Amino acid sequence: MKKILALALCLMMALSLAACGESSDSDLAYVKEKGTLVVGMTDFAPMDYKEEGSDEWIGFDADMARAFGEDLGVDVEFVEINWDNKAMELQTKAIDVVWNGMTLTEEVKSLMSCSEPYCLNGQVVVVAADVADQYQTTESLSGLSFAAENGSAGAEQLEALGLDYIAVDTQAKALMEVASGASDACVIDLLMAGAMIGEGTSYPDLTYTVQLNSEEYGVGFRQESDLVDAFNTFWKEAYDAGTVMETAKVYGVQESIIEK
Amino acid sequence: MLLDVTLSLLEGFGVTVQMFVLTLVFALPLGLIISFGSMSRFAPLRRLIQGFVWIVRGSPLMLQVLIIFYGPGLLFGLPLLPRFTAALLAFVINYACYFSEIYRGGIQSVPRGQYEAGQVLGMTKPQIFFKITLLQVIKRIIPPMGNEWITLVKDTALVRVISVYEIIWMGESYIKKGMIWPLFYTMVFYLAFNGILTIFFGWLEKKMDYFK
Repeated sequence: MKKILALALCLMMALSLAACGESSDSDLAYVKEKGTLVVGMTDFAPMDYKEEGSDEWIGFDADMARAFGEDLGVDVEFVEINWDNKAMELQTKAIDVVWNGMTLTEEVKSLMSCSEPYCLNGQVVVVAADVADQYQTTESLSGLSFAAENGSAGAEQLEALGLDYIAVDTQAKALMEVASGASDACVIDLLMAGAMIGEGTSYPDLTYTVQLNSEEYGVGFRQESDLVDAFNTFWKEAYDAGTVMETAKVYGVQESIIEK
Repeated sequence: MLLDVTLSLLEGFGVTVQMFVLTLVFALPLGLIISFGSMSRFAPLRRLIQGFVWIVRGSPLMLQVLIIFYGPGLLFGLPLLPRFTAALLAFVINYACYFSEIYRGGIQSVPRGQYEAGQVLGMTKPQIFFKITLLQVIKRIIPPMGNEWITLVKDTALVRVISVYEIIWMGESYIKKGMIWPLFYTMVFYLAFNGILTIFFGWLEKKMDYFK
């Protein structure tokens, strides 16, 4: 019995020592030494998406992430993650940064160290276009059945208004709920709504009405990471050099970019 | 359009099939070893293995996948296994435990008299196991094994929680482009694959019909 106990203690000490060795280093140095910045993202036009028939990630965030990698002198690798697991992915070093039109909510700020905001956004209500007239005010929304991405900023807004909703795992699924008639309405990002619904898109019969709030996008790093400062410096320089606005115009998000 | 979607789903299905085949390659032998452990006459070993099987069979496979991938990093700050490897490890452990119980059922269903007959003939224990018991065990476990294999094909859909891009992930990614049918189209792939498995197990059962 004593032997087993001693063995277990040894094992625990070895493991905790290994844990210590990892955490003391600078995150910036860690990424530079590794030579790759692993960016965690999801398929989220116009921030990160793939052109039909292409394997390369493009979008405002994707292009800026590549520029940031170049600035650091490392390669950039994109990993499509399960959005629910973003904090775990960061903490366990499966990825180095969450960069995907992420709304800076209290929850996000408590889980990671975030950059200064770079882009404005809001949550909007999406309904079928033929009934849109009836739902132009916040008061008119009660009685509708809603869908929203689990834990998203949209879900937070619905909770604040005291409206019930079905939680789904992506904003795209929330749109699908409305398109299929499973829910009357959903709440998603303004930027996404702008790009994904209305005429000439995949959801021509949907439209958005009420904007529930305004909020900001930021980039998330590991707690206490020195990459946050590196990012903020990079962004200021890129903004001054005009790179940020140029890229924004390519993807039609120039109206939302925050002035530096 | 159909061709593009089919090709992209096939890519995902390749990952599904790899997960299926590799899980079987490792879990089938490991399950046999675990079943010996759970039948051991050395009580502490038997209890330990039974406890382990209880934990693995009694908790959701999805949690096991999450724990094996994120656990080392979250608890000890250790570097992570590659995503596919972590998912595979979770599947091998989980399925080995299920297989071990199927083996145990098969082995214990062989009548005691057969061991005794072997002993009378002067055969050693391994000789009795491999020459008398094993073939009968294989015959008896074919139906439950068929069940588990088919379940395994569908369980592989769980690995997308740690971003292993199997067929359901590929199907779901089309939803963002406004296409809903590719997700349901994945069902054709599962049905075709499980159809082949069903035919294979039917054939195997017939093949094993020689001793009744």
